[in-house]
Amino acid sequence: MKKPFKLLIIDDAEEILIALENFFKNLNYEVTAASTGLDGLKQIEDESACFDLIITDLVLPNISGVAIISIAKQKFPDTPVIAITGWGEHPESLAKEAKADFVLEKPFKLPELEQLVENLLNK
Amino acid sequence: MSNKSKPNTGPPIIGVSKDMQRVRELIEHVADTGLNIVVFGESGVGKEVVAQNLYQQSPRSGKPFIKINCAALPEGLLESELFGYERGAFTGAEQKKKGKFQLAHSGVLLLDEIGDMSLPLQAKLLHVLQSGGEFSPLGSEKEVKSDTWVIAATNHDLKKDIDEGKFREDLYYRLNIIKIHVSPLRGRPEDIPPLIDFYIKEYTAMLQNRHIEKPSVKVIDQLCAYSWPGNVRELQNILKRILVLGDSSEVMNELFESERGTSNNKVTASIQGHHASLDGLLDLDGKNSPDNESFSLKNAKQEAVEMVEREIISHVLAKTDWNRSKASKILKISYKTLLYKISDLKIVPPQK
Repeated sequence: MKKPFKLLIIDDAEEILIALENFFKNLNYEVTAASTGLDGLKQIEDESACFDLIITDLVLPNISGVAIISIAKQKFPDTPVIAITGWGEHPESLAKEAKADFVLEKPFKLPELEQLVENLLNK
Repeated sequence: MSNKSKPNTGPPIIGVSKDMQRVRELIEHVADTGLNIVVFGESGVGKEVVAQNLYQQSPRSGKPFIKINCAALPEGLLESELFGYERGAFTGAEQKKKGKFQLAHSGVLLLDEIGDMSLPLQAKLLHVLQSGGEFSPLGSEKEVKSDTWVIAATNHDLKKDIDEGKFREDLYYRLNIIKIHVSPLRGRPEDIPPLIDFYIKEYTAMLQNRHIEKPSVKVIDQLCAYSWPGNVRELQNILKRILVLGDSSEVMNELFESERGTSNNKVTASIQGHHASLDGLLDLDGKNSPDNESFSLKNAKQEAVEMVEREIISHVLAKTDWNRSKASKILKISYKTLLYKISDLKIVPPQK
């Protein structure tokens, strides 16, 4: 059997984080969930983690999603990152500048996100 | 206004509270990213210390660390300080001058009190940050490029400033890639004893030729119970005074008197009065119950506005020794309006 893809999901809204975690676990992904930017950053810095893809909310306390994207892309330029946002265009354009592979606006449908993840992983 | 500090000279971040541990942890993780950072916190909590720690733990340590206070300078001067100017850019510009952005090249630029920057300058700053550090000094056609790590600090609630149209939302998001909040000292009294220890050691070293008596356990307990509106900076000042005077009782009495508002000082007394009436206004189950005939939002608002105006005008008058012309300039209202307000708000001069 093929090894499952490893996802890192960062969101400070608990219900969204749990929903995304369960959704991708059911699809046989290996999911690490982080509820703060700092938590997410620690996961990324952990050498053994090696995520195949990162999904992050843009507006987070302390370390923002934009910071997560910049740092992740510096360390692992080939790891795709999806930014999700429910906010105005400012963080969105910053996310693109930080080289997020895709910016997904809330509200979105879960199958939509799944399709996106699949496409980015199969590139 | 600006200083080049030598590497590894800034004070450490002292404190055992959860909040301070988190600040140290954040610094450790983000110091090497070079991403824009805003340090939030009340006056005197040590926002600059956070910036210095970020700098020292970054690969830029040893390069320039330049600080500029955006509240201390008028707009035009701040602009030329930030971006520099060419010879002849304006009357009096006899020599070309480098701006802080350029001076901080390869190092750190700390924009203190960023919340007080004018909107036109905010636009310029945004442009510089968007272009990756490009700007043109005043009177120059040429763009200069600098690789400067921008750290901003403020005691404002910038979100509120955005709502009120005083701060650009796009600049906020661009600066606020990483946010570090330093909480006020009154919310973390467990940090007071280690702070006292640290500063007493530091000041003792400075006053090496004198006999120094350390504050007693009782005094330290009292210091822990105080509310520290001026945060760590106030604690530093109090400790210095205790050490220099060699007697803590006078300093402590003063400290707690000012807190209780029992001092004869006019301003303190009136602040006390203001609190009392604000409490009255918000006493919605009693004195200002919505069931009262006189209750209305409009009335409450009017009263609140008058209270605040009375407070501020009294304060400025006390500061200017009742020089009404000076006071009106500080308050940015006309002399006539001030006279009208003094009589309307029934503000009386202190008896000599």
